[in-house]
Parts: sequence; C-alpha cells; structure tokens
Amino acid sequence: MMHLLYIDPGSGSFLVQAIVAAALGIVFYLKSFRNYIVSLFTRKRKKEEENKPQ
Amino acid sequence: MQPSFTKEPSSFRDPSGYIFEKDGCLFRQVNQIFKEEFDFFNQSGCYQKLVDKGLLIPHKVINENLTGDSHCYTTLQPEPVPFITYPYEWSFDMLKDAALLTLRITKEAMASKMILKDATPFNIQWYRGKLIFIDTLSFEKYDASKPWIAYRQFCECFLSPLLIMHYKKITLQNLMLSYPDGIPVTVTKNLLPRRTKLSLHLYLHIHLQAKYAGRKTNTKDKPVNFSEKKMINILTSLESVIKNLKSPTTTTVWSDYYEEAAQRNQYIEEKKSIIREWINHFADIKTALDVGANDGLFSKLTAQNGIYTIAADADHTCVNALYNYCKLEKVKNIQPMTIDFSNPTPAIGFNLTERKSLFQRVQTDLVLALAFIHHLVFTKNISFIQLATLFTRLSKKYLLIEFVPKDDPKVQEMLLNKPDIYPDYLIENFENAFSATFTIVKKQSIANSGRTLYLMEKQ
Repeated sequence: MMHLLYIDPGSGSFLVQAIVAAALGIVFYLKSFRNYIVSLFTRKRKKEEENKPQ
Repeated sequence: MQPSFTKEPSSFRDPSGYIFEKDGCLFRQVNQIFKEEFDFFNQSGCYQKLVDKGLLIPHKVINENLTGDSHCYTTLQPEPVPFITYPYEWSFDMLKDAALLTLRITKEAMASKMILKDATPFNIQWYRGKLIFIDTLSFEKYDASKPWIAYRQFCECFLSPLLIMHYKKITLQNLMLSYPDGIPVTVTKNLLPRRTKLSLHLYLHIHLQAKYAGRKTNTKDKPVNFSEKKMINILTSLESVIKNLKSPTTTTVWSDYYEEAAQRNQYIEEKKSIIREWINHFADIKTALDVGANDGLFSKLTAQNGIYTIAADADHTCVNALYNYCKLEKVKNIQPMTIDFSNPTPAIGFNLTERKSLFQRVQTDLVLALAFIHHLVFTKNISFIQLATLFTRLSKKYLLIEFVPKDDPKVQEMLLNKPDIYPDYLIENFENAFSATFTIVKKQSIANSGRTLYLMEKQ
C-alpha cells in the first residue's frame, strides 16, 4: 500500500532501523542470558537455603 | 444542492480521510482508499480493544456521505474533545505520558496485527482526566517484514524534546513551536551533551540515526530484513529510555508561591470564600479559563463547582505539578496548559491555519485573573487598556479579576531594581479602562490585604 505512505520515513531510516534493531537484539539477548545465569545461582542458593536443616 | 461543510485545515496530510465540521458537529470521513485497512481495524477487534482500555477516542459510525465527496467510504462521529491543546503547550510529564501512550498503543495494535502509521503528539489529547489517542485512521495492517514507518517521526516528535529537556534541564515549549513536525535528530544530536553517545540506547536512537539522516541519497532505500521481534526490541528500548527521563524543573520562583502565601492564610481563605459565593450566584458559568493559574488552587475551586476549567500558566513547574495532580486524583474537568499571556500561542503551519492560535481556540464563560495583571503591567509594561482588550477576547460573559495596589509588598519587590514609570497604575484608572467593555457587577476588598476582587460582566 505504498500510496498510503504519507509520512516521510526519513532518508536511510529503514536501514538505520535495521541496524538499531539488530544491536538491540544483541543487547537484550545478553541481558536475558545474564539474567538466566543470575537466576541459576539464586535458585541454587534458594534451594540450598531451603535444604538447610533448621 | 452542495452539502455545506468545513474541512478542518490541519487534516490534509493523510489521504486516508479527513476531519470536517457540519452543523456545529465534528465528523471524520474515511476515504475509499482506506476501506480495507479501516474494515480490518474493526474486524480484528483492535478498535474495540483500544476503546475498552480507554486508549482511543470512541466514535459512532454514520452510514452517510455527509460531504458529497466521491472518495467517501464512511463517516464517523468521534466523541467531541472540548478543548484542543498542542504539544508546545504541554508540560514535560504530559509529553512523556503521551510518548508512553503512543508506544503502548503500538504494542496493543501489533497484538491485533495492526500498527501505527504515524507517531505524532498532535494525535493525543487530554480528555476527561487522561491522555487519549484521537486519530482513528492512524492504524494500518502490520507487515512484520517491514521496519516501522513512524520510527523517525517518533524519535523527533517525542524522544528528541524529552531528551533535551532531561539532559539540558531546560523547558522547551518555544523550540517545539519552531519544529512542529519534531526536532530533527540532526539538531538534537548537537544539542545533547556528548556523554549521551556513551549510552547505547541513545547512541542508536539519536546519534546513529542522525548520521544516516544527514546523508544525501539519490537511490531508493534498499529493502531490509525486519521482524516482529526486532520491532518489539525497538519499542521496549524506547519505552525504557523514556520511563527514566525526569522533568527539567523542580522548583522555581512560583512553585513555592502558595507555601509562602500560606503565611497569608486569612487572605487566601477569604479570597476563596468570595469566589465560591460569586460563582455559585451565576448558574450560567459552564467553562472557565484561569490565567496565571499557578498550581491551580483556584482552578480546583471552580472545577469542584462543576465548571470545566482551563488552568494556564507560563511556569512549567506549576503546570507539570497540576497535570500530575489531575492525573493522580482523576480530576476530569481541569485542562492544564503552559501559556505565557504576554506572548500567547500563535497560529502556525501551512497557510497559518494548520495549528490554531490560542485566541482561535479559547473563549470561556468566565475568565479568572487572580493576582495576575500586576505581573504583566510591571514586568512587560502592558497597559490596563491592553489588558481589558485581552480579557474581552478571552471571556464570553464574566471576568473575575483581582487588583493589587502599587504599595503591595509583591509589587514593591518587582519595583526594587527599576524606576517607577507607572504613575497611572491606580485603581480608578483600572476601573475606567475595564469599564469600556465590562460592567462591574461586584467589588470586594480581601481581608486586610489592600487587594480588591471584582466580578465584571461583558457588555
């Protein structure tokens, strides 16, 4: 529906958006990876705490 | 016979349809060209979902061609918004909330396989105590393989002004007025401190984008691979950046005005009781404009009496505080806005008709000018006659105005560092100047303050 493209997306905007999105993809992946690792440890610690004899 | 209607002058950019006025009602025409998208908007449940969540203005469908235009597919009658404000009249938190609302609506639309095809704050209005999206024709079918067409527009209209205000600690109404289509990323890049390059998100959304925006290309942009996941990443990133931005102003000369005035408690209480008595006396007051509203003490009073009140002040901090108060307390009939009455909002845009001036939009039953006019007289050298002209334009019927004499400590403060070139600042001259267009209905002095309240009726 190109005829309805009434706003100018801006020169190079689509290309730059692809780069921005790719960079953000890496950032969010690393963040979720970090959160996963952190959660492993915290879960382990929690379990350990739970298993501790009272 | 040619049907009579007036096309809204700002409604020309989008070929999907336009807003028009007929017999005092506002309608939105949907054009044939947009039929498929508009039908999908309804069938996908996107419209109903957004309306149910209070994010989009509801409309009635009028199955009639009211304009006689051959392009007409259908006609809508949106719920009327009583008063239109523009982003350059908003405070920081209003613009920030409008940005977050735009992102939320984009996400909601994507869940219904639709997307916003434009992202401008002009599509958002303050309505019944909350921000609401008013452009029903901004939704088109979502093609996940394509980037977001409104990405640059969002960055320039919302992100740019918010970032500049946050990082430079300045209010930006005047700059936004110069760039109604958004502050270009190339300009924003130069206005922001260099350290913003070190923030990955800001580097991507502003600095990197500015690099590409500056390039001149003679070739068509190459198609790029995109996905829904990528789009979500962009929206999430924008949202997290904007959520962390803070209003540039915290305290100013005016923000602690009433706290200081609290020492003059008796004065405030008596002023309140006089105003309450007077406005109760006139049942025909439905709308009011509070000029120099400060933090809205008296706007709240009129609003509590069921009067729809526009609370205008030049001070950003006061307007921002009042906006947050209305949001928190769910006050539905106060419209906060930033206006400097010595330089009110002009008409701008194509043919100077696209965005209306303040005077084209405001005329209320009552105008409140409490402890206000001495500021314009002593700081801007505006005369009583000029002020009377201003209020004659703004008021439909009544004017509730306070006269502060020259020997008042507040006036003396203003005159500390300047010669007294105001020999005509006398209560008799004030009454004479206003008597040309108003009739003094009531007059009462307030406590022992030396100040006088007037209720005047337009002749």
